[in-house]
Amino acid sequence: MSATIFKHEFRTKLRSVLIWSASVAFLIIFFFSLFSVFAEQAALVNQMMANFPPQMRAAFGLDKMDLATVLGYYSFIFLFVQLCLAIQAANYGVGLVSVEESELTADFLMSKPVSRTQVFVSKLLAALAALTLTNLVVWASSFIAIELFRGDFEYQPGTLLLLLLGIVLFQLCFLCVGLLISLLVRRVRSVTPYGLGLGFGAYVLNGFSGVFGDVKLEYLTPFKHFDAAAMVSERAFDAPLVLLNVAVALLALALSYWRYIRRDIPAVS
Amino acid sequence: MNIFVRELKANLKSLIIWSVIMALLILIAVSKYSAFAGDPEMLKILDSMPPAMMEAMSMNAFNLTTLSGFYGLMFIYFGLMGAIAAAMWGSEVISKEERDKTVEFSLVLPVSRSRVVTAKALAALVNCILFVLITWSISMVAVKSYNPDQAFYDFLALEMQAMLAVELVFLAVGLLLGCAMKRYKLAGSTAVAIILATYMLSIMSGMYEKLDFLKYFTPFKYYDASALFRSGKMDAGYLALSAGIIVVCVVAGYVVYNKRDLYI
Repeated sequence: MSATIFKHEFRTKLRSVLIWSASVAFLIIFFFSLFSVFAEQAALVNQMMANFPPQMRAAFGLDKMDLATVLGYYSFIFLFVQLCLAIQAANYGVGLVSVEESELTADFLMSKPVSRTQVFVSKLLAALAALTLTNLVVWASSFIAIELFRGDFEYQPGTLLLLLLGIVLFQLCFLCVGLLISLLVRRVRSVTPYGLGLGFGAYVLNGFSGVFGDVKLEYLTPFKHFDAAAMVSERAFDAPLVLLNVAVALLALALSYWRYIRRDIPAVS
Repeated sequence: MNIFVRELKANLKSLIIWSVIMALLILIAVSKYSAFAGDPEMLKILDSMPPAMMEAMSMNAFNLTTLSGFYGLMFIYFGLMGAIAAAMWGSEVISKEERDKTVEFSLVLPVSRSRVVTAKALAALVNCILFVLITWSISMVAVKSYNPDQAFYDFLALEMQAMLAVELVFLAVGLLLGCAMKRYKLAGSTAVAIILATYMLSIMSGMYEKLDFLKYFTPFKYYDASALFRSGKMDAGYLALSAGIIVVCVVAGYVVYNKRDLYI
């Protein structure tokens, strides 16, 4: 761990972190301000849904979604927050070490008296710190939005905390997978297509599962591992899926480290 | 012409990757459709859900038990994929020269800057058209076993035209970003911001009637699949609006790029 590298990395990310945080906070507060409209309509829905057989409701995932409650509605917004966080984390992951090569600064960095392990760890920690900053903004704006707009509706802060606690693992997974991808391809020319592809790809895969019932492939996507609707109705993490998520993240991290230590980094010619 | 051919070759890999992703998406979706095909119980449930709920899950106005209804639901994903691909191609095709430090080379060639932009834009355009055609043909193959009728093929054709229209809008926006951004890195991240923002807007505008006006700001709503399904054609007003956006972006791109200091 080198403090200089950490500071430099963190500073270069600061602008991007501020922009992401502001957009996510806006998203949460804006969407939540529509809660009252939804709550009225959704109460009607719930009455109607009660008349259908439970298997049918399960087929559409409607048994889990209840827009008439604070957390039911919040879990609906949370999906979009996750999409933003996923793209941000994937971007940071893909760019973490590849940026040195695409910007031709790898020579400079590698000639410094620090080991690659130190470089890797400092960069990783800086990215994590940057993501955590955004994470904190999500926490704060979620509580603010709920307090401002929930009206007379009650909610369980414990379950909300659970959702928010999941974010850090969710980010870590995208960060590490992005990092691994950047180290598996020969050369990353531009970060955004990879980041967008990873984030939106996982999102679309999850969207499919929500609408069309059951196919096993969804277990690949972190959006499913931290499915807010399911967590709100169960009031707990889906332990096997969360473990799977952590395992994927750690495996990707270990492989990335292994690849980076042995990587042939081209010099500027 | 040389630039055009070179760009086509350079983008081929990216086109192949996008096409593979699209093929996977369609295959997963069609395999899921088999659970819905012709099930009247499902239809009964769908009919009784209130509009806001359906809108939130972008399932409104479709009879999911028919192939057309199902493909209507898929349209938002096609549009999204097309938009991301097109915006990336549009912004990269111009800005990568500065990123890869090759801009000095391409601009000392005996061609004007406008011709460079034209050749690059045309290459990206060909990519977009190919992407739609590939999506179209994969869809045709994937649904073969359900023996769809002519009405479905007509609707598919319409959807694909709408997808192309969405792609063109984002391609033009991407081109403008690539031409106008002084720092090449900003072109990519601004494109991301625009895609995310317009996607969120399309969701917001459908959720609540007072936010309906937002639909003019998001190309994803210009060609709403349920409207396409009901009317059987693309809305002329929105077509004009898209054409306007495209023309403005492309013209602005040319003007800016001709005058701009390049990052060397």
